[in-house]
Amino acid sequence: MNRKVVVTGINIISSLGLDIVTNWENAVRGISGVKRISLFDPGGLQTQIAAEVPSEFEYLVNQNIRKRSARQMTRVTQMCFVCAREAVEKSQIDFERFDKTRCAVIVGVVNTGNSSVEKGTTIQNAILKSMNNSMSAWISMEYRLMGPNYTVATACASSAYAIGFGYDLISSDRADIVIVGGADSIINPEEIRGFNELYALSVSNDPPEKASRPFSINRDGFVIGEGAGILVLESEKSALARNARIYAEVLGYALTSEAFNIMAPMKEGIGMASTMELALKNTKLKPEDIQYINAHGTSTILNDRYETLAIKKVFQDHAYRIPVTSLKSMIGHTIGAAGVIEAAITILSIINKKVTPTINYQKDPELDLDFVPDKAKEHEITHALSNSFAFGGHNASIVLKRYSG
Amino acid sequence: MKKITDETRAEVSEVVYGFFAEECEVGIEEINDDTDIFQDLGGDSLMFLELIEIFKKKYDLNIDLKTIGKYNVKHPVNTIGELIKTQLLIIEHENAILELD
Repeated sequence: MNRKVVVTGINIISSLGLDIVTNWENAVRGISGVKRISLFDPGGLQTQIAAEVPSEFEYLVNQNIRKRSARQMTRVTQMCFVCAREAVEKSQIDFERFDKTRCAVIVGVVNTGNSSVEKGTTIQNAILKSMNNSMSAWISMEYRLMGPNYTVATACASSAYAIGFGYDLISSDRADIVIVGGADSIINPEEIRGFNELYALSVSNDPPEKASRPFSINRDGFVIGEGAGILVLESEKSALARNARIYAEVLGYALTSEAFNIMAPMKEGIGMASTMELALKNTKLKPEDIQYINAHGTSTILNDRYETLAIKKVFQDHAYRIPVTSLKSMIGHTIGAAGVIEAAITILSIINKKVTPTINYQKDPELDLDFVPDKAKEHEITHALSNSFAFGGHNASIVLKRYSG
Repeated sequence: MKKITDETRAEVSEVVYGFFAEECEVGIEEINDDTDIFQDLGGDSLMFLELIEIFKKKYDLNIDLKTIGKYNVKHPVNTIGELIKTQLLIIEHENAILELD
């Protein structure tokens, strides 16, 4: 059995806003969420900027989470939980009408953010706040879902992997609904120092909003972002039976491992190209069927160069007709949450027939694709790819399709 | 062994009821001795340990968590009434609570 998998719930929390609509509107306008770090004093660090979630998030926590539970969660876990509640509400699912043993939760998590910046950690809640499985566990407890419930950790591809595994559960008829997503924040002095040592972060602190510039000649590393994203995946049969709004179809995906280097991608983007080729093969699409690519586009020297080469290798001449954009130019790199946030924006691009821009763009002669510089553009999309390429060689390409019944 | 008076019983009940009302965000009038901590209040097992810490300080108790763990294996706590009864036994017998079996 190979059942159709559709998206019936969707939400994002990021530096651009606390809900999906605000995120979309700000992304279309090309707004940057990058500012000087306010979560702690970044003085003395090479990198002093990040894309933080707005402080009004605290209001959502008070509205959505019991005080005791909130104390047992990190701020990042709270982001994931609040994001999931809103996504489920949008899906209008009444879980009491479902066989809950066929409802699952899969969350991509790198860590829960229980760092030196986290407030309120005590000996009583330290373990609960640090458990990498806590985000999926809290969501599953909220709705008493008793199907598979687990965490995927594949660095910056974590939540893209979560989408893939959720797709598998539904398409193979082992689940009817899977809440998939991710949340992350590495905005803390320890990780910033660590990534600075690896020369991975931008040090263009002034002005902050110009620092993340994927595919540009003057790119100098990624900017850390934080946030959460959730998709409610559902079998088409289930969605139609309850007359649900269907945002898009997940047509399939590819996961690969480069088995090459703990940090650097394979030379010339060979691994990235293989992943996109496999995604096309798995979904029985031809290169010319793809009308949009939401790139991993980190703003690092190597990723952007190799991702561009990979797209050109896979799509040949058609590559020049595909808009390729990086949301990270606006919200920074949300690490474990990036895959799902970018998939969510890709879905809205399909629905709204519009692609969000890559801001701060300055042409790099070697990277000659249409990166949709600085201004959103109208664009009809039937099939889109959303790429995630992580440290450790964990690659993912998700294929999303306009839902047409 | 500490003596349990009516005053001690009242104090323990007051602390336990107040604790669950605050932590579970319910009105104190919604709680009674038959209230299930997990099913009715959405509580968790850590609450029991947090209450023990409160009573350890309040009554200067000599009680090890491992002792309580062993006792609870044979005497599980689910309701508010069972929890109050166990707390009173802990206050009365401290680490000797295991000898009651």
